[in-house]
Amino acid sequence: MPESIPASLIIDVLKDTFREARAALAAEGYRAPRHEHLGWILSVPDTHQKSVLAALDKERAIRVLTCATEDEAVAIAAGLYIGGEPVALMIQHAGLYASVNTLRGVALDGRLPVFYMIGLLGREKDREPRDSRHSMVRYCEPLLDLFGVPHARLEGPSDVHLIPEYYRLSRARRGPAVLLVGLETS
Amino acid sequence: MAIKPEDLLRAIATMRGDAVCVPTMTTVPAWRTIAPDDLSVVCVGFMGGASSLGLGLALARPDRRVIVFDGDGSLLMQLGSLATVAAAQPRNLVHLVFKNGVYQTSGAQEVPGGLQVDFVAMAKAAGYREAYALADLDAFRRRFPATLRQEGPVLVELSTGLAEQTPMTAPGGKPFSQQVEELREKLREL
Ligand SMILES: Cc1ncc(C[n+]2csc(CCOP(=O)(O)OP(=O)(O)O)c2C)c(N)n1
Ligand SMILES: [Mg+2]
Repeated sequence: MPESIPASLIIDVLKDTFREARAALAAEGYRAPRHEHLGWILSVPDTHQKSVLAALDKERAIRVLTCATEDEAVAIAAGLYIGGEPVALMIQHAGLYASVNTLRGVALDGRLPVFYMIGLLGREKDREPRDSRHSMVRYCEPLLDLFGVPHARLEGPSDVHLIPEYYRLSRARRGPAVLLVGLETS
Repeated sequence: MAIKPEDLLRAIATMRGDAVCVPTMTTVPAWRTIAPDDLSVVCVGFMGGASSLGLGLALARPDRRVIVFDGDGSLLMQLGSLATVAAAQPRNLVHLVFKNGVYQTSGAQEVPGGLQVDFVAMAKAAGYREAYALADLDAFRRRFPATLRQEGPVLVELSTGLAEQTPMTAPGGKPFSQQVEELREKLREL
């Protein structure tokens, strides 16, 4: 059964993930950045992760950039990656559907590591997503499978280890990797 | 008066210094011959993404200029990116719009509004620090060096004629993924 994850836990894990990413970049030969923040969140607001976005407003270690479209978010993530900055996307399932061409053209064809956290708004606690009453929920995993994008569900506090794992997976595979946030964060 | 896009690109090549360039659509084949093997990454295969790709680069590398060579049809496809760029306030981003009034690469169909669309007004309304239009190569040569030094984001709407080649008539160049890796390596060393 999916369980709500506290925003503070997600943010702490994201900070650790970005710290680890910075250490990896330094090992690759990147200079330490002149700015203070650890990494970037690119978001088109996701109803499901709104408590995380609200808490990030007060978080100086992570820079949040709200984008007008998910297409922009993916292309901005590509630029940040090329320039050596850690970055994660926070969007919702509708945003994935809205930006499929960019997922293909940028993350897949460009072999660009794009780490996504995607809210599954409407996911019923007692049903498998594939049996959901909502098309938004039903099509998400099959769509990712069609494009060969690795994905996992983030459905309780004990799953947060998946955040650094899928971040690293996107880097190791040089492509997109997705965590699906099953329940609204608290 | 419309400027020949190839002349414009040759002028940019002499002035851009070590700026990272992001061409898209009809500027891609010309730029490939004018500035081979340099600090560029093209936007091909995700129409409308050049401004955002440039924004990401500019935010990651505030120490260097990033120049986007956008298409008018492409910018219309991701017009909201004007607001996103303006809100992020990248001081080092120069956004050039090659305004030919058409989707030349797909067969030169007129873009919505044709040449009526005023990208300067749109950029200013979105919050760009500056925006201006030019339709003359000499004026561009005179003004662009200062643009490269001033605080961005700046948008320059350039009235251009049709290009000699498009990505359809002159396909090729390195795959996008290879350009990404090569630029990443070059930037790391700089
Ligand atoms: C999402 C999407 N829709 C449609 C196309 C087809 N298409 C390819 S190039 C192009 C025109 C580009 O026009 P513009 O940005 O003005 O550049 P120009 O060719 O005039 O330099 C279009 C519509 C596409 N590549 N992607
Ligand atoms: Mg055009």
